[in-house]
Amino acid sequence: MPITQEMVRALSADLYSWSLRKVPDDTHAALARAQVSEPDARARETLKFMLASAERAERDDKFLCSDSGIPVFFVRIGAQAVMSGDIRQAFVDGFDDLVRTIEPPILKFVTNPLTNERGYRGKDMPIVSYDFTDGDCIDITCSPKSLGSGRWAALEIFSYPTLETIETYVMDVVMNAAGQHCPPVVIGVGIGGSFDRAAAIAKKATLRPIGSTNDEPVLRDMEGRLLAAVNATGFGPMGLGGQTTALAVHVDYSAGHGFTPVAVCFNCWINRRTRARIYNSGVVERLE
Amino acid sequence: MAMLPRVQLPLSPDAARRLKLGDVVLADGEAVITAGLPTHERIVRYLDEALPLPLELRGQAFFHLGLCEAAEGGDTTPLYVNPTTSTRFAAQLPTMIRRLGLTTVAGKGGLDQASVDAMAAQGCVYMAIVGGAAPLLTAAITEVVETGWDDLIAQFRLTRIRFRGFGPLTIAIDAHGGNLYGQLADVARQRLPAILSGMAGRRDPLGRNDRTPIVPHDEMPRTRP
Repeated sequence: MPITQEMVRALSADLYSWSLRKVPDDTHAALARAQVSEPDARARETLKFMLASAERAERDDKFLCSDSGIPVFFVRIGAQAVMSGDIRQAFVDGFDDLVRTIEPPILKFVTNPLTNERGYRGKDMPIVSYDFTDGDCIDITCSPKSLGSGRWAALEIFSYPTLETIETYVMDVVMNAAGQHCPPVVIGVGIGGSFDRAAAIAKKATLRPIGSTNDEPVLRDMEGRLLAAVNATGFGPMGLGGQTTALAVHVDYSAGHGFTPVAVCFNCWINRRTRARIYNSGVVERLE
Repeated sequence: MAMLPRVQLPLSPDAARRLKLGDVVLADGEAVITAGLPTHERIVRYLDEALPLPLELRGQAFFHLGLCEAAEGGDTTPLYVNPTTSTRFAAQLPTMIRRLGLTTVAGKGGLDQASVDAMAAQGCVYMAIVGGAAPLLTAAITEVVETGWDDLIAQFRLTRIRFRGFGPLTIAIDAHGGNLYGQLADVARQRLPAILSGMAGRRDPLGRNDRTPIVPHDEMPRTRP
């Protein structure tokens, strides 16, 4: 039995809807840990309020944020997956379905960058990237993106940078964002590859579960240094002071040429991320 | 949050001046809200051209909040609200604060020095709202009173809301030039050299010079994970 266009259409809408109502478990746990360890009393109260909001949203099936963002999906197609229909169109139709049926309704955020008009549809929307993996399933991650944290991402190209150059640049971007991106944030850093690849690496790095270990020792150390450095700035939750500016810094890299792009991006404290698989059997497995 | 002090909005300029930087309060009363840059631009244009605004804004509390509401019959129910980034409106706020006599601006992320100066001159504070707390913030809204400029998309309209116990709200810019965001940015800038040198001390001291690749080339994975 193939994985049909209709199955992907329905699941993509569900993934989006779920992402608006639930803070991922790893992020909730990290916020709870920070709420205990944070030395600043006002920051502790802010973290407590965030946790209360997350719990109320989940309990009452409410949105955490009024900005539902734009639809962004990462799709990995198993080598043994059998598909039928137009899978690309499934994401377009799934978002249309969501807009038509979701309760409460979502506001218009899809923006034409040439006119700044907003609606629910637009060129290349939803943003979907495809990759391959093993298995008899399609693996879909939904990570809607909004201006609040998206506005502060940056990329610069260096020539044969040292680790010091890379880390200093990350801190420049962190200083520029200050506390405006609804911290505590998850920071993704992409090093190397090409211009476009570095940005994709940074974004994908934000999707890595908080608390997971980087397989690359050089980057594992870099993540530790950067997390400590970001949290030493003192911007704190919502930029109102405290030691919890980031919950995690995740770094990944790609081989490239001597020109080395370094991309830095942020997810706000809600860290919207849902993930599920559809198997050839028709079974849907929700992973996050 | 029951223990937090309450403030009644809109504030008088004197009441705004009595609020202290860093105070955390809950608000009762009403405010005009929008999340729209076109709305701010239109307000300034209307002020310049002496055109009537659709809602009374003089002396009011002005919140950077996005609202989704349900209208049925004559009733409007707030479904959810959440703050948006105030610095997006930095170009319009000094004019609005001075010419409308706003006594409270609220949102997230603060404002620039020109707005801080305008707030000090007027008797106006900036209240920081926690982002991503829509379920709790929305529960405090008791009424959607009126809307204006309904030609704009929902979150860009001007909407007057009434609330009880809205917050917590942190006085992040006071009416005397005090700016919590500015103070924290100064602290971070002062700390940065020590932070960077601390990172250097924790970096691998072996061979990470100007021309050493991050990972020796023959140790790089050949396939993507």
